[in-house]
Amino acid sequence: MKNISKKTKIIALLVAIIIIAGIIIILTKGLNFELKYETAQKIQLYLAKEFNISDIKKITDEIFPNQDVIIQTVEIFNETVGITVNNITDEQKSNLITKINEKYGTELQADEIEITNIPHTRGRDLIKPYITPFVVVTIIILIYLAIRYKKLGILRTTALVAFCIAIAQMLLLSIMAITRIPIGRITIPLVLIVYMLSLMGITTNFEKKLKEKNKEEEI
Amino acid sequence: MKKIKILTIILAIVLITMVSFFGVYTQVQNRMENQIKQYSYAMDIEGTRSVRLALNDETNTIIKDAQGNEVEDTEELTDEQIQEKGYTKEEIPVNSEEVKKVENYKKSKEIIEKRLKLQGLDNYIIKLEENTGDIIVEIKENAQTDSIISNINTVGKFEVIDSETKEVLMNNNDLKEVKVMYGVDGTSGTTIYLNMEFDKEGTKKLKEITSTYKTIEETEENENAEETENENIEETNTTNSTNATNETSTETTEEVEELKDGTEKEKQVTIKIDDSEFTTTSFKKPVENGILQFSMGSSSTDLDSVNETAGRATRIATILNCEAMPVRYEIEENQYIYSDITNEQLQMAEYIALGVIALALIVLIIRYKLLGILGAVSYVGFTSLLMLIVRYTNIVLSIEGFIGIVAILILNYILVNKLLKQDNQNEIYKDFFIKTLPIIILSIVFCFIVWEPISNFGMVMFWGFFLIAIYNMIITNSLVKIKAGKEK
Repeated sequence: MKNISKKTKIIALLVAIIIIAGIIIILTKGLNFELKYETAQKIQLYLAKEFNISDIKKITDEIFPNQDVIIQTVEIFNETVGITVNNITDEQKSNLITKINEKYGTELQADEIEITNIPHTRGRDLIKPYITPFVVVTIIILIYLAIRYKKLGILRTTALVAFCIAIAQMLLLSIMAITRIPIGRITIPLVLIVYMLSLMGITTNFEKKLKEKNKEEEI
Repeated sequence: MKKIKILTIILAIVLITMVSFFGVYTQVQNRMENQIKQYSYAMDIEGTRSVRLALNDETNTIIKDAQGNEVEDTEELTDEQIQEKGYTKEEIPVNSEEVKKVENYKKSKEIIEKRLKLQGLDNYIIKLEENTGDIIVEIKENAQTDSIISNINTVGKFEVIDSETKEVLMNNNDLKEVKVMYGVDGTSGTTIYLNMEFDKEGTKKLKEITSTYKTIEETEENENAEETENENIEETNTTNSTNATNETSTETTEEVEELKDGTEKEKQVTIKIDDSEFTTTSFKKPVENGILQFSMGSSSTDLDSVNETAGRATRIATILNCEAMPVRYEIEENQYIYSDITNEQLQMAEYIALGVIALALIVLIIRYKLLGILGAVSYVGFTSLLMLIVRYTNIVLSIEGFIGIVAILILNYILVNKLLKQDNQNEIYKDFFIKTLPIIILSIVFCFIVWEPISNFGMVMFWGFFLIAIYNMIITNSLVKIKAGKEK
C-alpha cells in the first residue's frame, strides 16, 4: 500500500470532522430552509399606486427586524405588494399597515386585511426531480470512467469515483448545515458546482495516474 | 497582411459584441425596437402564476319526496309547490365532514400533480396546508396557463348511467386510459376523437351494457335525437381501437321496451363527467374490445378550430386519466406573482460577473502582453456569442442556467490561458476535452431530462462546450498562430 502523505491525512481528517459535525447538526437542529420553502404567513396590500420594493423593504426592516422577509409584486400593474414572513403578529400587522398608509397615503384597515398561511415545501419534494437525472448521469459517467481507466482497475476506479462524488456532496451538505446556509434555490446550483468540480478533480488525477502507468509499461 | 487578418478578426468580434450586448435597433412605428431576441427566464427569476385552492364550502339543495327519494328537475318548483307535494328540502354540503381528511387532501394534491405532468408541465411548486386542506400551486405563466388552471380543481368523476333509472353502470374505476386521436379526411378536414379504453372489468361491463342497450332500428327521429347538448359531440361505436377514422356508427339506437301503443321506447345510457352530461346514447352492436370512441365537434379544416377542439379533448383525457378527486376544491386565489429576485439584484449580479471577467482578462493581458490582449479580445467575442446562442436556442434561464454560463466561461478561460501559454495546441485541446468529457456527458444527459432547470443547465453547458470547441479552433487559434508567425 502506498504511503499516504501527511497533507492528505490532514485533509481527510478535516473532511471527516466536518461531515461528522454536519451529521450531528442535521440530526439535532435540522437543516435551515429558505423562507420560500418554510411555513410562513403572507399579507397582501393593495396600494393603488406604483411602489418600489426598496421602500417597502425599509418598512419591513423596521417592523420585522432580524427576520427574513420576501417582498413580491402581485399582478402586472405593480400596485399590490405581497409580504411573506415566518410569523406576523396582530401588532406587527397593525404597525405595518400604519406605516404603509403613511408612506402611500392609503386608507388600509388592519381588520380588513387577511393574513394567509403558506404551507412549507417538503425537502424531499424539492430534491425529488433531481434524483433521477443525477443517478442516470452518475451511472453513465461511472461506466465511461471504468472503460477509460480500465488499466487502473475497473472496480477500483468505479469505487473511487463513487466515493469521491458521495464525499464531496456530503461535505457540501455538512458545510450548509454548519454554516446554516439555507436550503433553497441555490442548493441545486451548489450541488452542480461541487459535482462538476469533483469530476474535474477525479479525471485530472486519473489522467496523471494513467500517464504514469503507461510510462511504466513502456519502460 | 497579418495585421489585416488580426484587425479583421478583431472587428468581427467587436461587431458580435455590439450585437450581443447592445442589440440591433430598427424603427418600428416611430420607435426604435431591438431586433435581437430577448432572454427568457424561468419562473424562479421571472415570476409565477399562483393558485390557491380551498375546500368548497357550498351546499347543494336537494329535494326529496315523501319516500325519501331524490326528485329530479326541481329547479322551477316554488317553496309552496314543494310543500303542497309533500317534498322536503335538504341542504347537503359539497364536501361532507367524512371527506375532510388529511389523506384525502394528500390524495388531491397527488392527483393535481399528475394532471400537471400529463399536461406537459414539469416545473411547478405544490404545497398542502394539512390543517385546512388548502393547496397552493405555482406554475410558469404562458399561453397554456389558464387552460391548465381550469383543469386543476375539476373533480374528474366519470360515470356511465342508465338515462332513466339513474343507475350507475360504470365509473372511473373501470377506465384504463383515455387518449386523444386525430382522423384526417381529404374533404371534411380533421376530426378529433376521444378514445376511452376500459380495463378488464370495464371491458366486461361495457360488453354487457352495449348488448343490453342495442339498436333495433334506425329512424330519422333517432338521428335527431342523437345530437347531444354537449357541443355537437357524437357517439361513435368503434370496432377498431387503433384507428380513429375507422368505420363508426352515429345512429342512435334503442333498447327494446314495449310502450302502450305498441311502439318501442328508446332507452339510453348517459355518460357524465363531473355530473355534467357528456353524451346520451345507445349502441348499434356490442363493443367487445373495451374501447369507446367519441368524435369531438365536427370535422374542420381550420387549424385554430382543430387546435381548440384538440385542447378540449386533451383536457378531458387528462382529467379522466387521473383518479377522481376525493374532495371538491374551488379556486380562491389566482394571481401572477413576480419573483422576489428583483431586476436590481439581477443587474448587480451582472455587474459583478462583468467585473470578475474584466479582472481575469487584465490578468491575462499582464501575463501574456500582446498575446494576452488578443486572448482577451477572443474571450469577449466568445462570451458575446454564447449569450446570443442562449437566446436563439430558446434556453429558459434559471439559476441553474446561470451556473451553466458561469461554468462555461470559467472553462473557456482555462482553455484560452493554456492556448496562449503553449505551442502544441492539438495536445491542449485533447487534454482539455479528455478532462472535461465527464462534464460533457453530464451536459448531454441533462439536455434530455424533462425537469426544466436541469435541462436548461444541460443545454447551456452543451452549447457552451460546442462553442468552446468551434470558436477557439477558429478564432483563438487563428489569432495565436498569426501572432506567433508575426514574431518569427
